[in-house]
Amino acid sequence: MFNREMKKGSAEFLVLSLLEARPRHGYDLGKLIEARSKGRIQFRIGSLYPILCRLEDRGLIAGRWVERAGERRRRYYRLTPAGRKFLASQRTTWGEFVLTINRIVRSGNA
Amino acid sequence: MLPPATPDWARYVRERLPLSRLQPEREAEIVEELAGQLEQAYAEALGRGLTSEQAEAAARRHISDWASFAAEVSRSERGRESALAGIQHRAEDRDVARRGRFFFWTTLGQDLLYAVRILSKSPGFTAAAVLTMALGIGANTAIFSLIDAVLLRSLPVRNSQELVLLHWSARKEPRTYNSSGYGDCEIRFTGLEAHGCNFSKPFIEQVRAQTAVFSGVAAFASAGQLNLSGSGPARLARGQYVSGDYFPALGLRPAAGRLLAPSDDSPSAPEVAVLSYGYWQSEFGGEPGVIGRSIHLQGFPFTVVGVAEASFSNLTPGNSFDLWVPMAVRPKLEKGWTPASENAGSWWVVALARLKTGVSRSQAEAAVRRVFYNQMLHGDKPLFEARDAPALQLLPANTGLTGVRRKLSAPLYVLMLAVGIVLLIACANVAGLMLARAAGRQKEIAVRLALGASRGRIVRQLLTESLAISTAGGALGIAMAIWSARGLLQLLATIMDRPTGFSANLDPRVLAFTLAASIVTGILFGLVPAISSLRLDLTPALKDGAKRTPRGDRPRGWFNSGSVLVVAQVALTVVMLVGAGLLVRTLESLKRVDPGFETGNVLTFRVDPTLTGYKGEQIGALFRELRERFGAVPGVTSASYSMVPLLSGILRSTGFRLHGLSTEKESDADSLPVGPGFFDTMRMPMVAGRDFRPAEFEATGSKPGSRCSRASDARAPVAAIVNESFVRAYFPGQNPMGQRFGGGEDPDAGPDACPDAGWEIVGVVHDARYRSLHEEIHPTIYEPSGEGGSFELRTASDPRAVIASVRDVIKRTGFDLPIYEIKTQLQQIEDQLFQERLLASLSSLFGVLALLLACIGLYGLLSFEVAGRTREIGIRMALGARAADVHRQIVVRGIAITVAGVALGIAGALGLTRYLGSMLFGVKPGDPLTLAAVSALLLLVAFGASYGPARRATHVDPLVALRYE
Repeated sequence: MFNREMKKGSAEFLVLSLLEARPRHGYDLGKLIEARSKGRIQFRIGSLYPILCRLEDRGLIAGRWVERAGERRRRYYRLTPAGRKFLASQRTTWGEFVLTINRIVRSGNA
Repeated sequence: MLPPATPDWARYVRERLPLSRLQPEREAEIVEELAGQLEQAYAEALGRGLTSEQAEAAARRHISDWASFAAEVSRSERGRESALAGIQHRAEDRDVARRGRFFFWTTLGQDLLYAVRILSKSPGFTAAAVLTMALGIGANTAIFSLIDAVLLRSLPVRNSQELVLLHWSARKEPRTYNSSGYGDCEIRFTGLEAHGCNFSKPFIEQVRAQTAVFSGVAAFASAGQLNLSGSGPARLARGQYVSGDYFPALGLRPAAGRLLAPSDDSPSAPEVAVLSYGYWQSEFGGEPGVIGRSIHLQGFPFTVVGVAEASFSNLTPGNSFDLWVPMAVRPKLEKGWTPASENAGSWWVVALARLKTGVSRSQAEAAVRRVFYNQMLHGDKPLFEARDAPALQLLPANTGLTGVRRKLSAPLYVLMLAVGIVLLIACANVAGLMLARAAGRQKEIAVRLALGASRGRIVRQLLTESLAISTAGGALGIAMAIWSARGLLQLLATIMDRPTGFSANLDPRVLAFTLAASIVTGILFGLVPAISSLRLDLTPALKDGAKRTPRGDRPRGWFNSGSVLVVAQVALTVVMLVGAGLLVRTLESLKRVDPGFETGNVLTFRVDPTLTGYKGEQIGALFRELRERFGAVPGVTSASYSMVPLLSGILRSTGFRLHGLSTEKESDADSLPVGPGFFDTMRMPMVAGRDFRPAEFEATGSKPGSRCSRASDARAPVAAIVNESFVRAYFPGQNPMGQRFGGGEDPDAGPDACPDAGWEIVGVVHDARYRSLHEEIHPTIYEPSGEGGSFELRTASDPRAVIASVRDVIKRTGFDLPIYEIKTQLQQIEDQLFQERLLASLSSLFGVLALLLACIGLYGLLSFEVAGRTREIGIRMALGARAADVHRQIVVRGIAITVAGVALGIAGALGLTRYLGSMLFGVKPGDPLTLAAVSALLLLVAFGASYGPARRATHVDPLVALRYE
């Protein structure tokens, strides 16, 4: 299991990445992270929701109420153009970070 | 088995989430979203086969620490708010940075375009607002253009600011042989001070010699009505005597021919005249051939040498002239002119002097002041003593020549105040309209704000709209103003019986005034709705179900902007109506004044045989003959004449000494020389004694009013009929019959004057008004006269029916005798009441306009409020409120607003109408009856205006109302 701090540090990146393909609602995002990480990363509503709020405040994502017949209405989030740009830069940063960490860790082993 | 009840997750969240300082709408959204997610988690857990209790517990585990969760959400929400504000600030900063000229003008263009588009989308509102403003601005422009024409315009001559008017003052009047003014400026002789702008001809010559300070002196004096013949039928022309340097000094140019030159102003020069442009156009058809043609003035030939430029007809406001002749011809044209009339003791010349370049008014004044002082104290015949402190002043010519200004300025300023009030009411009215409209436009404004418009820009947009309305109103108002100002001037000219020389034109000053009025009013009525739009809440405004009223302007608030505006309108209307009411009651009381004689069925007109060369005894004979012939005209029951008509504004008075009193003390009385049958014709009842005998008319000489003509009569007193006031003042408690007064040596009379035997009372007549209806009745002496200036004919029916016969009689005398000022006695009185009628009718008109606007304002406000309260009223009615209660509530609100306005208005009226004081007659400024009547009228109108909206409220269908919104 990963610790809280690691999860927290990567949460924004994860949410933005998942919203890249299509808009999703909050609970859906949590389930998706859990499924894709095979249960190794889990976000409760209590931790994910403030992240969504924060991202929306920063203009990186935008929420919209969507109603479907016979269902309670849900708030779907999509990536804003600013969010898309931010995600691209995050992706590079994370890639370099992982690479760098690996480099450090491997040389330590050698 | 029933499926387990789903927990109420929304309630669960709401009870645990301590969000503070968030807007309720945002809070509801958060609650809804979280509840949705928890419900999903719960449903999923159920799907995994957990019991409902287990599933609920699993869902609850998603948020365990509510406090820190709430803190985190709140933090980001606060961030959201400040981020929003930041975006706004950045946008505004950008606005400021870009507020270069180009940016400003392009966005202004956008605003204007948008304003026009949005206004044209609601043509009803726009038309109402533009019309209201046009009425307000138009009325103001009309009155202002009159003020401009009468009070502000400078003299129509070159560099009028260089011209000064010679004016004198002293502690008492000069010992002049003769003093006359022609209404160019106020001449005043009271016990304490005397002043005027009339001088003697020799003194003006001395001023003219001051070439070090003056470059020219334009001297003039009215020649009155001159009989003009030799070019069509005889008619009267208003002439003016002017010095030879009059036109050069004023810097005027001829429109045709030439103007008078100094060489024309000499007794030996050929007689020449210059026509005014207007007279040339109206009487000679603007024909150039008139130059060099001969005309006859008072029977003497004159050559027309030129026409003055079109813009010049007069110097003194209201005194315009048809032609000018040199001063040197005056002895020829006027019968009684003697060499003494030209000496230093005869003051009849008015003069403007042009300051030399570089000479100030005070420098010039110092120079001529000395000349004047020396002349007055040490001249051939000193006219003042040192203690009289005679002094000469140079006044700016533009303001010094007052003319009719003095008479017209007070009524004009009162009217200006009245239209100013109307304009304020119009502004309040349109502001109310805009406010109601702004409420309906909240969503639009909110959308624009949400899209990043700065609030400054929104305010500017709204102000642009109101300015577009007021400017359109101003443009329409100008058209209305010019039209109505011309009408008013025409009315003025008709009543003054002569062209005034005023023209209401769109000069730059009037245009500037209208533009300023439009901009100020546009800002005034645009500001209230613009400011209220600033207080707009975005989120609810964007929602569809939002209430259609601005925050802070909830219809139930008693003192919302809308009702304050209506209170102001009502208050201003009360001030307006109280003023109008007082002026109307003044007119009514003047009309109710008993003139002391019968005013119906009397025709008056003037003839002046001296104009056609009648002399001495001929005049008396002509009057006798005319009186007889007029008396024989069918429809005329009796005819007489008097020196002046009654109630025409003209007064003669005389001084005399009462026997037994100190000779130093003079008594005075009004006096009127009358012809045979005067009291009978005017139906003035005799109280005691008898009417004049025919012989008593014979005894009077050729000079009107003269009491001594033949040596044999020298010792006999003149028969006099006096009025009751005379008896009360001078012979109280005595039998007035046979009493004598006046007479004795006159120290000022010349050696050829015969001794004055005074008067003997032969009859007493009922008190009658003489000069005007306003004045108290003074002691009056009627004395017999063999001639008069004005005829009075009593007719059996409409006096105007005999005018043609009267002209016929005159024509049959065989002389070219002009007849003028033909009026019925009632017309004479109406003309006298010109100022009162003008003020009463215009202020009533403006009062009604104000009332109408206030009524519309109240109606609009209540309708708007009822519309905004449809839901509330529906609920109340669904809960059992009776229609009558709802009705009463609306009407009570309308009445309450009106009562507040009336109370404020009465306070204002008490303060403001004090300034009407001198214009009122028979009524006091704080007249309770007028106040009560106006208040009652306002309440009645308010009741009527509230009735419609109240009725509409009672027709609210609860079902429809609840579905509404």
